[in-house]
Amino acid sequence: MTAGAIRQAPRPALRLVWLHAASRRLPAAVALLAACAAGLRAALFWHWDAYGALQLPLIFEAGCAAVIAVAAGSPFGDPERATGRWLPFLRLGAAAALTALAVAALTAAGAGAHLSGGFLDVLRNVAGLTGIGLLCAVVLGGPLAWTGPLAYLMVSVYGLYTDWHPPTLSTPLIWPARPPHDLGGALCAAVVFAAGLIAIAVRGAREPDGG
Amino acid sequence: MTAATPVAPGPLPVAPRAGVAVPGLARLLRLELRHNAMLWLLPVAGALFWFNGYREIMALPPMWNLRAMTLQNRLLLDLTIPVTAAAAWMGSREGRRNVADLVAGTARPRWARQLATWAATTAWAEVACLACIAAVYVMTARQASWGGPLWWPAVVSAAGIPALTAIGFAAGAWFPGRFVTPLVTIVAFFGLGFGTQAASGDHSYWQISPLTAGAFDIGAAPGVATFYHYLPDLSIAQVMFTTGITFGILGVLGVSSALNGPRLRRLAAVIAAAGLAAAGTAVALAGTGRLDPHGMIVIPALHDAASNQPVRYTPACSRTAIPVCVHPAFAVFLPAMTAAVGPELTEVAGLPGAPARISQVAEVYQQEPQNGILSLAGVPGGSSFILTDQVPGEPGATSAQFAGDLQDTLGLQLIRDVILGGNASAAAARPSQAQLAVIAASVRPGAVWLGPSAADVSAPEISGRQLLTLSGPAARAARRFAALPPAAKHAWLAQHLAALRAGQMSPAQLP
Repeated sequence: MTAGAIRQAPRPALRLVWLHAASRRLPAAVALLAACAAGLRAALFWHWDAYGALQLPLIFEAGCAAVIAVAAGSPFGDPERATGRWLPFLRLGAAAALTALAVAALTAAGAGAHLSGGFLDVLRNVAGLTGIGLLCAVVLGGPLAWTGPLAYLMVSVYGLYTDWHPPTLSTPLIWPARPPHDLGGALCAAVVFAAGLIAIAVRGAREPDGG
Repeated sequence: MTAATPVAPGPLPVAPRAGVAVPGLARLLRLELRHNAMLWLLPVAGALFWFNGYREIMALPPMWNLRAMTLQNRLLLDLTIPVTAAAAWMGSREGRRNVADLVAGTARPRWARQLATWAATTAWAEVACLACIAAVYVMTARQASWGGPLWWPAVVSAAGIPALTAIGFAAGAWFPGRFVTPLVTIVAFFGLGFGTQAASGDHSYWQISPLTAGAFDIGAAPGVATFYHYLPDLSIAQVMFTTGITFGILGVLGVSSALNGPRLRRLAAVIAAAGLAAAGTAVALAGTGRLDPHGMIVIPALHDAASNQPVRYTPACSRTAIPVCVHPAFAVFLPAMTAAVGPELTEVAGLPGAPARISQVAEVYQQEPQNGILSLAGVPGGSSFILTDQVPGEPGATSAQFAGDLQDTLGLQLIRDVILGGNASAAAARPSQAQLAVIAASVRPGAVWLGPSAADVSAPEISGRQLLTLSGPAARAARRFAALPPAAKHAWLAQHLAALRAGQMSPAQLP
């Protein structure tokens, strides 16, 4: 290996990362995450009643999770699997980075406003919902990965609703309905997120049968 | 080499006539029905409705008004995600599979193909919607003690489905990217679920939301659409709005593609304009609404004065010392009511001032500024009463709370009228300590009157809260009197009521 090759080594790695990101439409995904955060910020200017204030962040968190999950889909399939030695790490890195970006963007959107639950709530909900989305991407494929987060959104919205209208759904499996500091809910969300990350890193998103 | 066998020429292709166009479209629709994403999402839609809506609706008391109005408030929102997502998925199909150019050369215009796909998606979504409605209505028909199905809430829900599919489908067709399905679904859910939060008062344009069943701050209450007919005014405007939105979006979809040809695009433009005009008119009509005294929204331009007539019914009455008669829709609560105020009924039956029969009357509502609703629930007095809106089975309402509310209202009203000689004579007088002790001992004994200081209130203001202030000899007398059985109280009151009313008795003279 020449000295010039050594100097150029970071560039192919960066190019690989960029190509991976481009193939997953990650720039568009980042833009949509920013749009979700902007939407949350705009919505927080409105005066919501108790229901609205609690349920509002969850909708944008689910939107972010759906975007991250859909971005996990690959358009290449087998050729990429056969040649990509770094593919599991790229998948893992992309999902983790997008999740971190979503949490940061939504938290920043709520800064200075009344964001129900605060940072911990955003972290737990985005991580858990993204985990569900990544698992759906593995099972159903990237294009259909939104089904899990959106279906879970409905369940969670109802869980929050029962906080006013008993009987309250108190299971930690519906973690958005639990308080931000609740350990059970946080553990459930963390386990689902970890499972989603591992599954997407190892298996990747399922290839669609034909669209 | 052999000569090729001449092949007889087949029949020349015949240009499609008007008569065969419909079977062709029907075949296209059948194909779309068989290959539709909504078909696969039907179990998801059913599960979401069961988890979110059905269980809560069926936990409500078996009253048609409560369940139908709650159904309207929940069903469309529960179906929003699967329906909009399926429509967006189907709408983006050509773009997602990169076959838009391929199918552009087929015999049907692009709009016709799109409408067939949209219609198939809508048909499956309506199947889900109608199945959910049927589940609730069949179960309610088996349980309700009075009345029949309220169809307008169901019609509004069913009419909202095509609007959702049109929104999802158009978004998918216009932006066929991988992210469009979740995003348009989130936007539709947010718009539908949170749109009602902007509603304020009975003149609000936002009550056009198909989730709004009746006045915003009353919603599904037991007394609404029970004594008087369900007013379809707001429902008609909502159906007009969702239908207009549907036609408007589908028309714009036809206009937006140059492949449809000028004639078809002109037709689409007319449909779009008509649809959007209908939707705008419906919004304007909703803004002219006002709360009627019976808890429903009246829209003058759509109102039928015949709907103002009260519903005829035969009341359901208890077999108690003083019969308690309620609207038959409330018959299921009669045992709980007689159990709650049975002692008071026994205690005052036959005494001067006691009614021969007590009948439930309708609550009267009045709009206050913003979303405030004034319920004119001031107890009519004498022989009539108003039942609380919080009946057992409603979210957050318990049987114990229901019984307590009855004792605080109907029970207190009965005892107060008998002990003080009725509202008119008592208005000018101040109740004596003995009178207060008897009242307190008869209404929720031991629960409402153990207070620290003496009462200093005028008679018409007596309530459970004010009785809390009894103390000293009056409180001790009340405890003694409360310990007596209802029959013994009745016997004592029959003997001493005149003296008690005249203020000639002291607490020490109570048994």
